Amino acid sequence: MGAVRLSGVRKLYGAVEVIKGVDLTVEAGELVVFVGPSGCGKSTLLRMIAGLEDVDYGRVEIAGRDVTEAPPARRGVAMVFQNYALYPHMTAFDNLAYGLRRAGVPRDEVTRSVRETAAMLQITELLARKPGAMSGGQRQRVAIGRAIIRKPEVFLFDEPLSNLDAALRVEMRSQIARLHHDLQATMIFVTHDQVEAMTLADRIVVLNAGRVEQIGTPREVYHAPANLFVAGFIGSPAMNLLPATLGPAGVTLPSGIVLGGRRGAGEPVTLGLRPDRLLLAEENETQLTGLATLVEHLGDESILHLVAGDGQKLTVKLRGDAPVRIGETVGLRLDLGGACLFGADGRALPQG
Amino acid sequence: MKTQRRGWMGMLGYHALMLAISAIFLLPFYWMAISAFKTNAEIFSNPVTWFPDPIRWDNVTALLARDDFPVVRQFFNSVFYAGTVAVLVVLSCSLAAYAFGCLRWRGRDLVFGLTVCALLMPTIVTFLPIYIAWSRLGLTGTYWPLITPFLFGDAFFIFMLRQFFMGVPRELMDAARLDGASEFRIWWQIVLPQVRTALVIVGLFALVYTWNEFFLPLVYLREREDLPLSVGLFTFQSQRAAEWAASMMGALLTALPMVLLFLFTQRLFQRGLSTTGLK
Repeated sequence: MGAVRLSGVRKLYGAVEVIKGVDLTVEAGELVVFVGPSGCGKSTLLRMIAGLEDVDYGRVEIAGRDVTEAPPARRGVAMVFQNYALYPHMTAFDNLAYGLRRAGVPRDEVTRSVRETAAMLQITELLARKPGAMSGGQRQRVAIGRAIIRKPEVFLFDEPLSNLDAALRVEMRSQIARLHHDLQATMIFVTHDQVEAMTLADRIVVLNAGRVEQIGTPREVYHAPANLFVAGFIGSPAMNLLPATLGPAGVTLPSGIVLGGRRGAGEPVTLGLRPDRLLLAEENETQLTGLATLVEHLGDESILHLVAGDGQKLTVKLRGDAPVRIGETVGLRLDLGGACLFGADGRALPQG
Repeated sequence: MKTQRRGWMGMLGYHALMLAISAIFLLPFYWMAISAFKTNAEIFSNPVTWFPDPIRWDNVTALLARDDFPVVRQFFNSVFYAGTVAVLVVLSCSLAAYAFGCLRWRGRDLVFGLTVCALLMPTIVTFLPIYIAWSRLGLTGTYWPLITPFLFGDAFFIFMLRQFFMGVPRELMDAARLDGASEFRIWWQIVLPQVRTALVIVGLFALVYTWNEFFLPLVYLREREDLPLSVGLFTFQSQRAAEWAASMMGALLTALPMVLLFLFTQRLFQRGLSTTGLK
């Protein structure tokens, strides 16, 4: 299994720069997830690693070898696509065998490899079928088989689960996690689904408009976002971002309420609080009030959507069924444990 | 009740109009078909006879036996000419359409634009210099000038196939590239099987166009034995102007294969026309 190293990688479509200088190392055996909003360049970056898009500037190394100019088949990568991309006119067997045949692998070895891979993914009974006669989940397993069979240095997944229904997605997600564990393979996984990113990744790369905003473990990205973009993007419901100042007594809300914590000389900051850090308050400990505009009961938890007096939108996550109705004014207490502070430039201030 | 009745009347009117228009289009064909089985005298009889009585089946054998109109030989010439062109068009145009529809390269849209511009160029404009070139090569009087150009595609069919090729998911080709297939192999093994219907449609169109092609075989071919049916029939008619029944039988035999082909493949033709925006 090989590491992937990107140095100063850039991509231009005409005058538009879609990848603006990415430096990144994916260690051997690591599962890294690229996550970001639509059009942020995550799929383009993956396709550049695969060799399906030209690298205009910079360098791509796989397993210590410069592959910037190498064709896709010579990079030691295999890719699983969102729409499976199985050859519709070939049986599952031929789909799995196609790459090996192109590589000149002898016929009986091809048959043996296909059988082994099919057994591993429990798709042996599908081998004689064409993709049109398979369900979405079965097609995705065959597509994964086609990637595994070539024993690549690096696996690339381009939103492989987004065409599956919710139950199947959970199943396939755990299958990919198991595969990563069993093969100890280097994997790069593109998704816009945060749950996939958080559950699968060893490290997450958050991309925005062709730039890397943050690289870190799921915990780091969630608990210590590097900037306002990451804070707003990672986590569902999103982090509450409240304007505040750092006064001599600590973090101060526009209403004058002093929350304490870090002190300053009155510089403006943004206070980031996860929805579970806003708590229902007794009357005498209320720090912030908001009018409930929507209450979502999810069974084990409730999500309140509030609008504060100054028009600031707030999201609160409470355990169990919240005793709040739409139109009710709710008093809140802020738990600053785990709060994030961002300076005027949008970057996180050092914690502590 | 009233609206239902109006709807029914409307349908009746619509179908009556369609039948009348169809009759106008079918009448010459019907006239050709019945005249082929009449004598010359019956064709010009007054009042007009709308069905031959008796049906002169021996007109068929009489025509096939003629020395001045080698129908069978010319039929096979047409089969060879139209068949070869259809196969070449499918191969060459699908290669070009793959490059225009599935590959990304600098200047692609410009080159495609120029290719489509070739559609606007009447054959007659480029005919003379091309004729001189073939003449210098000493290949006039053969099928080479008629067939060879189709090795290099045809603007109309390239345009038509490109539309179909653009519908093939890009990921299929990407997957094949990752599997180590060359571009030629991707075209042949991955993309062509996805557009089989389009290839059949293009082949059929090319077959019909070439079967009916008149001008180029007329100017390039000389010997009667070498002519395709389209030109053979014309030559026969211009030399035997008075033999209407034989001419009509020749016309019927020329038209019949394409009519039968159309009847069996009507659905594909309709799809081809709607894809190119011709209908």
